[in-house]
Amino acid sequence: MHFDTLHNQFQAGKLGMWLFLGQEVLFFAALFTAYAVYRGNHTEMFHYGQFFLNWQMGAANTIVLLFSSMTAAWSVRCAQLEQRKGLLLTIAVTWLCAATFMIIKYFEYTHKIHVGSVWGASFNIHDFSELPEKLQKLLTEQGITTTEAANAKLGKDGLGLGTFFAVYFCMTGLHGIHVLVGMGLYAWLFVRALKGSFNRKYYGAVDNIALYWHIVDLIWIFLFPLLYLIG
Amino acid sequence: MSDGHAHSHDDHGHGEALPGTIGHVTPASTLIGVFLTLVVLTVITVAAAQVDVGRLNVVGALAIATVKGSIVALWFMHLRYDKRFNFFIMFGSVLFLLWMVGYILFDTKMYQHDMENYRHNKTVDGKPKPE
Amino acid sequence: MAGGVVEKPAGAYGGSTKNYLNETRGIKNWLITLDHKRIALMYLVAVTSALLLGGFFAIALRTVLWDGAVRDPQDLFLGLRIEQMYNRYFTLHGAVMVFLFIIPGIPASLGNFVLPMQLGAKDLALPRLNLMSLYLYWIGAIFFVGVLALGGLDTGWTLYPPYSLGRDTSIPLILALSAVFILGFSSILTGLNFIVTMHRLRPPGMGMYDMPLFLWALYATSLIQVLATPVIGLTLGLSLIEHVFHIGIFLPEYGGDPVLYQHFFWFYSHPAVYIMILPAMGVQSELIATFSRKHVFGYKAIGWSSIAIAVIGFIVWGHHMFVAGQSPAAGLIFSFLTFFVAIPSAIKVFNWVATMYKGSIELKTPMLYGLAFMYLFGIGGLTGLFLASIANNVHLHDTYFVIAHFHMVMVGSTLNAFFGGVHYWWPKMTGRMYNETLAKIACLLVFVGFNLAFMPQFVAGTRGMPRRYANYSDEFTIFHQWSTVGAYILGAGVLLQVIYLTHSWFKGARAPKNPWGAASLEWQSDSPPDFHNFTKPVVVMAAYDYENWEYDANTGGYELRKEVVETGRSIATVHN
Ligand code: HEM
Ligand SMILES: [Cu+2]
Repeated sequence: MHFDTLHNQFQAGKLGMWLFLGQEVLFFAALFTAYAVYRGNHTEMFHYGQFFLNWQMGAANTIVLLFSSMTAAWSVRCAQLEQRKGLLLTIAVTWLCAATFMIIKYFEYTHKIHVGSVWGASFNIHDFSELPEKLQKLLTEQGITTTEAANAKLGKDGLGLGTFFAVYFCMTGLHGIHVLVGMGLYAWLFVRALKGSFNRKYYGAVDNIALYWHIVDLIWIFLFPLLYLIG
Repeated sequence: MSDGHAHSHDDHGHGEALPGTIGHVTPASTLIGVFLTLVVLTVITVAAAQVDVGRLNVVGALAIATVKGSIVALWFMHLRYDKRFNFFIMFGSVLFLLWMVGYILFDTKMYQHDMENYRHNKTVDGKPKPE
Repeated sequence: MAGGVVEKPAGAYGGSTKNYLNETRGIKNWLITLDHKRIALMYLVAVTSALLLGGFFAIALRTVLWDGAVRDPQDLFLGLRIEQMYNRYFTLHGAVMVFLFIIPGIPASLGNFVLPMQLGAKDLALPRLNLMSLYLYWIGAIFFVGVLALGGLDTGWTLYPPYSLGRDTSIPLILALSAVFILGFSSILTGLNFIVTMHRLRPPGMGMYDMPLFLWALYATSLIQVLATPVIGLTLGLSLIEHVFHIGIFLPEYGGDPVLYQHFFWFYSHPAVYIMILPAMGVQSELIATFSRKHVFGYKAIGWSSIAIAVIGFIVWGHHMFVAGQSPAAGLIFSFLTFFVAIPSAIKVFNWVATMYKGSIELKTPMLYGLAFMYLFGIGGLTGLFLASIANNVHLHDTYFVIAHFHMVMVGSTLNAFFGGVHYWWPKMTGRMYNETLAKIACLLVFVGFNLAFMPQFVAGTRGMPRRYANYSDEFTIFHQWSTVGAYILGAGVLLQVIYLTHSWFKGARAPKNPWGAASLEWQSDSPPDFHNFTKPVVVMAAYDYENWEYDANTGGYELRKEVVETGRSIATVHN
């Protein structure tokens, strides 16, 4: 160790983490831009695309992540107060919330793949009757009742929903990868906490991983309304 | 680079902290309070989205999300009690993000009609485009 | 005698013969080392190899261009038409030079070595991260070797869709995209580490205005690395997915927008040109001040202009897209903003010149590179302004004028500064002096060769010679042939460097502690430094406090004055 004090070492790690988070913001920047560009120029694409997204699932995931963000912050508190059991518990709960998030995500993804509402060139609705009900109604009002006609309307020569789902899968997919990484980190943290590695002067890992976890939550706070709510 | 050399223990723990604790200890009540606030804001977001007010939907949703994000950053991420520099990193990167989104959006909006023109009439500035 | 240094038993110079090079032995100890000096040295070897590889392609390109006016288009070379071969050469030349040499170049090798030492510290703040970024660099480099082995790539280093992505799935393309992604993270981690180190490991008594200007430059560079590089990472990640799955974000046939790619690409790649030039400017500040033996003029102006360049660098990217489908309105604003970048660059040049004014200038090899830098950067920067005005750009875009512009700044300035920096810190890094005469000859070859290679390209460009073509009409022959001759001379200069530097590594005269009389803290260590950097307590002083050092004929270098060692205080009267 080449820092003169533990305090200095702690601050160094933390500064490094904040720089990493700044990096994360710009990592997502290109995706937010792609979203803005396609939404700004093709509002109708997003209007139709949104029928496929289930806001209840999105909202449930939002609450799950918010709760895990609280437990993550709590784990820092436990580390500072040297509450060993509390630390283990908060870490475990955070991990479980992350897992729950991914399970819900899994159901969303598989459903979309099942329906055929996926990215770009692969966008191809398999069956008209599997479309979300509201969308079926809307299309029927426009005289569209067959699978082919629906694909013509929604596909790449029509509204281009393939691009909407490209944006959707890339944004939530990249976010999902971050959640998985977070799960890995919390698993590791759990083991270290079990060994009793942390105390009130040495808990940088708990703090920094919590910071990471909060940014994952923070990004989702924006993704949720952008993708699920405003059509 | 303004924080100088950190010998000063500028961030002491809260009242309940053990002696010598590094960093600020957030009270349990604050954590729960922040969480509940965030949940309420989520409910408001969802509710607001059910009413169709055109473009204002976007503005409203983004505004609420920004408030939520700031709350997470300030309390959960301790930015309120942290070194000012860490705040600037976050703030700076968000500024760059906004500049990127804003400028590219502006530009694509400006050239969109060229693309539409080309798609539908195969012309650019009124002239046929050579293949 | 070479370097003007008398050969003495090793012990006379460092007090101890143990140093970071021989502290432990064996490949394994190098591969798992956390020592910033060893990592820096491995980086130096790696980026130099990349330079030579890229240089090989450059020579190949120039050779093809020798007779581009009279060639039979049906000629085959290694089973490919010459033009197809040529496209692969310029792509690999560009990609290897940009991503493997010039972006990591100065920061990861020279910066890594001297940054902690200029702070009087033992190491970077996060040594493990440092090693990790070296490994990421290696992985990226291996991927590029894979690209080469699998037949190369012909998209240009910019990888613009639809040409690049809208083809059948291509393994070399996938490798190249992943390589740049990985190299990006190597770069981010280095930058992050540097910033943390400069914040947390500055010794008590050294304020931000006491740091050498090289560190200000590295700080500004690191800011760009951390904040701009993720954008290219994500862009190329998206491109990879687009290429394999056709998701319809960049490829028009699936509903995507190729101009969006260019926006993303340049959002990184314009700031990236400042990742290339800022460290070079930092080296330049050290060279000019040291060899003028005068306190640097306008310290704060040079320091803050680095930060200004970093920030302004983020708001001008559209000047690469004036004729690429960007809207005229956006182009106008970008053109206007681009002019601002020149201001902080010019501030630096004026201050360097003012530093030399009335200095006692010593024309050692590093200083020669420094002088070349100023002249060539002047031309590079000013031609950038030509290109920044839209009306000119419509004519000059994608011509040899652009090629000449960016080679003036990337080769004329950055490569020059890299050479200058290597010669400046070589005695510290290796503990050996190189042959000064040969070094001067090499410097001359590089300078003459470079000018011969690129000055004619400005003329060819204004007359309409487009970039990226293997064949051309006869009127351009004369420019291309001059240029090719220049490239060979430049290549000879670089080879000469490699030869005498390698020789000096094994056989060179022992270097004194401080052969140049520089005042930044790294010169208080032994040459080569001890594993722990400093064996005696460091006297913390501001950079450029040259009065603290005096020449010692016994060692052939400079030593701290007695009163400085005794009081542990700087006696300098001028401060930053
Ligand atoms: C004084 C400030 C500078 C200005 C105003 C400037 C301006 C420009 C402009 C307007 C272009 C676009 C030309 C075109 O494609 O039509 C350009 C190209 C380029 N510049 Fe600069 N530049 C400056 C400094 C630099 C520096 C310091 C570097 C690198 C170290 C650099 C590297 C490049 C490169 C690599 C390209 C071409 C990339 C490509 O198309 O492959 N420039 N510059
Ligand atoms: Cu540029």
